[in-house]
Amino acid sequence: MTELSTAISPPAAAITTSAVSIRGVTKRFPGGKGAEPVVAVDDLDLEIEDGEFFSLLGPSGCGKTTTLRMIGGFEYPTAGSIQIFGEEVGLLPPNRRPVNTVFQSYALFPHMTVAQNIAFGLEMQNVAAGEIKERVGDVIELVQLEGRENRKPKQLSGGQQQRVALARALVNRPKVLLLDEPLGALDLKLRQAMQLELKQMQERVGITFIYVTHDQEEALTMSDRLAVMDHGELLQVGAPEAIYDKPRTRFVADFIGDTNLLTATVVDDSAVRLSDGSAIRVENDRPVGSAVTVAVRPEKLGLRRVESDRDPTLDAIDGHVERVTFLGNALAYEVTADAGDPRVTLRIRQGNAPGVEHFSAGDAVRVRWVPGSATVLED
Amino acid sequence: MATTLEPPTGEAAPPSAAPSQLGLERDAERADSRRGFLIGLPSLLYLVVFFAIPLGIVFVYSFGNRSRTGRTILGDWTLSSYERLFSSLVMQITGRSLGYAVLTTVVCLLVGYPFAYYLATRPPKVRGILLVLVMIPFWSNLLVRTYAWRVILGSDGPLVQVLNAVGFSDVRLLFTPFATILGLIYGFLPFMILPLYASIERLDFSLVEAARDLYASGWEAFRRVTWPLSRPGVIAGSILVFIPSFGAYVIPEILGGSRTTMLGSYVVLQFLSARDQPFGAALSMAILAVMLAAALLYFRSGAKDVA
Repeated sequence: MTELSTAISPPAAAITTSAVSIRGVTKRFPGGKGAEPVVAVDDLDLEIEDGEFFSLLGPSGCGKTTTLRMIGGFEYPTAGSIQIFGEEVGLLPPNRRPVNTVFQSYALFPHMTVAQNIAFGLEMQNVAAGEIKERVGDVIELVQLEGRENRKPKQLSGGQQQRVALARALVNRPKVLLLDEPLGALDLKLRQAMQLELKQMQERVGITFIYVTHDQEEALTMSDRLAVMDHGELLQVGAPEAIYDKPRTRFVADFIGDTNLLTATVVDDSAVRLSDGSAIRVENDRPVGSAVTVAVRPEKLGLRRVESDRDPTLDAIDGHVERVTFLGNALAYEVTADAGDPRVTLRIRQGNAPGVEHFSAGDAVRVRWVPGSATVLED
Repeated sequence: MATTLEPPTGEAAPPSAAPSQLGLERDAERADSRRGFLIGLPSLLYLVVFFAIPLGIVFVYSFGNRSRTGRTILGDWTLSSYERLFSSLVMQITGRSLGYAVLTTVVCLLVGYPFAYYLATRPPKVRGILLVLVMIPFWSNLLVRTYAWRVILGSDGPLVQVLNAVGFSDVRLLFTPFATILGLIYGFLPFMILPLYASIERLDFSLVEAARDLYASGWEAFRRVTWPLSRPGVIAGSILVFIPSFGAYVIPEILGGSRTTMLGSYVVLQFLSARDQPFGAALSMAILAVMLAAALLYFRSGAKDVA
């Protein structure tokens, strides 16, 4: 493992260069007869730092896979520049790029054994037979596949195939590892276990991982930073906490986690007013009186009985419980405000912990906002 | 079941219910296999009447003897027809047939593989059109199409005239080995393309991408991934071309000359002109044996890797 990590450390001269640098990259695919070309990626700028676990997150068709395929060399950009550790690679074929890919369907060679699959990349680079054997052995140990060297991929479980795909890429000690929804085919329990394992492995080998997924939970759990994409454009880049807590646009707020999107009117630079007349403290830089959308996560709202609340004037909405859903570890409430047109409906989630009061449909409640828990969206 | 723990009451008797259920199951299975047999029966009858029985007749005739007038005598059994298979003439014709058939198969593979690959990687619409083009020749009779080659290759034909015009005088194409092999390739190429297309089309092209990702050049990716994974198509196509080429009759008859006689024609000669039915029958059995052996060998060598 130390061997792997030392092999990956960046050249001394290039300390300030990113692992992957994407500048102004556009990819257009020809449309059908007479149709407009399809813009899969639109003028993308992205810097991915050395040693980062970076995720590209978005719905299918958002351009995340096309972006990954352009880094891997399976698509060439229509315009723009792609650099890996300072070297321009945009128009190089895949075999001449210092990156390796873990494919969505694993793409293991069905006619080769596990060991032959893993050795393939080294053979193609004309590594000496003795060294191949050693490195294949090391990486098989790393992914815990000892004793299965001579099996064919078809004889392995989904999780084991996943490990072979990972080993086949890592054995080449790439500068950057590209992963295209590698856990999509696994069931939930195994997926969660592999998420943890992948993250630990990335920390151990120190390679930059670029991870494509449409699963927001996966991206939040594993990434150092992530980028949310839609319609070929980058919507927001940042650490998982920043993106979850301070989504910039309606799409990001809605795509990542559950969220309440409320229309409000700006009162001043630190408060807005909802349609039921309640004032909520939210930092903002919009003109007074303008209409904005406020996003707040269901678990950041508190729920109390009306009579037990001492401060009804600020950061509070009075309403009635419409619906309660028991989720096991939490309770989800739907509360409709008592005043306003249209009536504000809020989703609230409270942990199922001892001492937390449970409510039933019809109960009169007061929703409490913790200042700073909401955010004003750009659109 | 809790019932087994209860004392026997007389009316409910689970132990006797179990064996009778087993009997019913066996009856149902028998009925199933009987139905399966009935469904297969028409094809079985067809094969027996039109394939097994005639083959049996040929087999019996191959041990027959001949009267002085050339009539076949069944009963006075002999192996002399089989001994004659090793005469130098038969050996020469067999060698020629084998050579032509191998050459035809190799050329069909070399021409067919790139085409099948191209075909399999087109968008579905284009693919459909190209596939129809491959199959168009089947819409007219092989005999007719082969006669067309006679016109093309003939001494007044366009090909010879072009060759004459560019300075090759006194060229003869028709009735040569070239014409025969060309005819065989033309006739059997679709049988190579179709199975190749089927196996390449099924190929997961992300495997090729994976190979390229793992530092393989385009050629190495083909050699290490595409080619081995399309082997079932290569094997099926080769067998489908080799076997009819080896026993070809119509094409060498029309396009070949006396010095390009192939086994098929030689067998027909025995039955129709020489009226030597036992020898013709023995030749047929020998061809059958060679083809069977070749097919078995080929299948076995391929089956190992593909599985």
